[in-house]
Amino acid sequence: MKRAELTFERPENLFARDPPETRGQGRDDVRLLVTDSEGHRHANFEDLPQFLRAGDLLVVNESSAIPASLAAESRLGSILLNLSTRFRSDLWVAEPRWSSGKPGPLPFEPGEELRIGSATVRLVVPYPGIPRLWFALGDRSFDPLFEERGEPIHYGYTDAWPMETYQTLFSRVPGSAEMPSAARPITPRIREGLEGAGVRIAPILLHTGVSSLEIESETVEAQAMYPEPFRVSQETSDAVNRTHANGGRVIAVGTTVVRALESAWTPDGLHARNGFTRLFVHPDREIHSVDGLLTGFHDPVTSHLAMLTAFLGLDGVRSAYAEAVRHGYMWHEFGDSHLVLPSPATS
Amino acid sequence: MSNRSTPSQRVALITGASRGLGRVLAGFVAKQGYALILSSRGVTELRAAADELAPLAPVSAIPGDVTDEGHRRRLLEAAERWGRLDVLVNNASELGDSPLPPLNKASQQTFRRVLDVNTIAPLALVQEALPLLIRSHGLVVNISSDAAIGGYPGWGLYGASKAALDLVSKTLAAELREDGVSVVSVDPGDMRTKMHQDAYAGQDISDRPLPDVTLPFWAWLLSQDPMKVSGMRYQAQAPLWEVPP
Repeated sequence: MKRAELTFERPENLFARDPPETRGQGRDDVRLLVTDSEGHRHANFEDLPQFLRAGDLLVVNESSAIPASLAAESRLGSILLNLSTRFRSDLWVAEPRWSSGKPGPLPFEPGEELRIGSATVRLVVPYPGIPRLWFALGDRSFDPLFEERGEPIHYGYTDAWPMETYQTLFSRVPGSAEMPSAARPITPRIREGLEGAGVRIAPILLHTGVSSLEIESETVEAQAMYPEPFRVSQETSDAVNRTHANGGRVIAVGTTVVRALESAWTPDGLHARNGFTRLFVHPDREIHSVDGLLTGFHDPVTSHLAMLTAFLGLDGVRSAYAEAVRHGYMWHEFGDSHLVLPSPATS
Repeated sequence: MSNRSTPSQRVALITGASRGLGRVLAGFVAKQGYALILSSRGVTELRAAADELAPLAPVSAIPGDVTDEGHRRRLLEAAERWGRLDVLVNNASELGDSPLPPLNKASQQTFRRVLDVNTIAPLALVQEALPLLIRSHGLVVNISSDAAIGGYPGWGLYGASKAALDLVSKTLAAELREDGVSVVSVDPGDMRTKMHQDAYAGQDISDRPLPDVTLPFWAWLLSQDPMKVSGMRYQAQAPLWEVPP
């Protein structure tokens, strides 16, 4: 698939700039576009249980966001260092940016040093194939730096909100550079509704790196992917296998869950797995472990959008996104939700 | 060429370090604060690599052939001087004749040389370095190849030597576990290196990635608890690097 095929028009007034709770609404007070083989339906997020069936399994990411954005001093002046993926406490893949609204790549040389408070951070080498990312080596662990000086990663279209804004009902294990946001509208009330409908919930862990990668290569499949730490437990792999054996559907809550489950898939079903994955779920790759996806609305030419085409095909994605623009659905982490079910949504 | 390392500094020994994968890996670990012992047959190239790395890390560059016992002894004497050996990378490899002949035309003498360099010398280095490796709870990385399992025409000698090396790695991992020494086998995948060019003499290999494509894997591997990954065979360019349960 050509990079250009993942472009689409979307007016900037469809960027969700603040979370609904700052307007006195509930987190679940967002809209839900449902796309299945019969077309599109417009609903509210609280309607989610009625599109699922008893015996379906929702899989959620239990990683919680950390304040991964650090102000740093450099040869180029004051910059931001957004940490993305932890290799060790003192070694991360990180994205140096001019500011939250102004990305890089910044013209650093390998070996250059940054100062973060009293800590020194060396930019070792750029990440192969992704020049805006670097291996960043601290002279100490980054953990206290986050705790003392970190802010949540945010971009030009929104402010930094308090850290709890970026956690979900399922956030349990700190480590994501950015919130796995698809579960954000799942409130206790929604969870009760799901459980009441006979839908079960199982967790995986995948620590997300910085934002969905913008695809820079000419063809989508050639894009270099950076790895993310993940874990699929025996309990969850058993739950997925049992759901499929019983004719239920496995619905991933977020693209991170698709990546984790597909990384644990084998022709004999799912297995417990722990490690780093840079699996790229792209249009030419068949999806085996997941039957549907609950997600947000993604930017043009990103790896997340490429994943969506693996569920819906390019025409399906174009049709859904045209529908979303026409009906004013809101984009990004505080925006509306999209339930993608390649088979019919209701029994 | 040699300068001082500090007692707390980790030490890596890399064979075949003057070009290709070995050189890229040497640069990456040097930038992460390791002291380096570098081995290569190419005296001039090794000198150039050492000069480039010297500003980054203590480097001891020792030219020689890994099948030569005296050369291996000099490498380990350098590690002894630094008092430790945290990572031993057996990367030096012999492809055999170029272009690669099919097995029915392969030279038995070449096969002996390929086995000597790719299988026997790595084991010899582990045997001889064992006291240092035990003291440092070291990690041995044996560089393998997809030819070890592929059965690709022309790659028989090289592939057989790497398949044997894979089994050496796995067996050593089991045998050395109680000594606290870890062993992994790593298939770096196709790369644009001199060896790959020799294997495909006269062909354009510019579609292959440069060896720095494997850096994320090395960053990951060297960040793991070595005992937890010991016995594994990894593909550096694969989408998944698994820690066994």
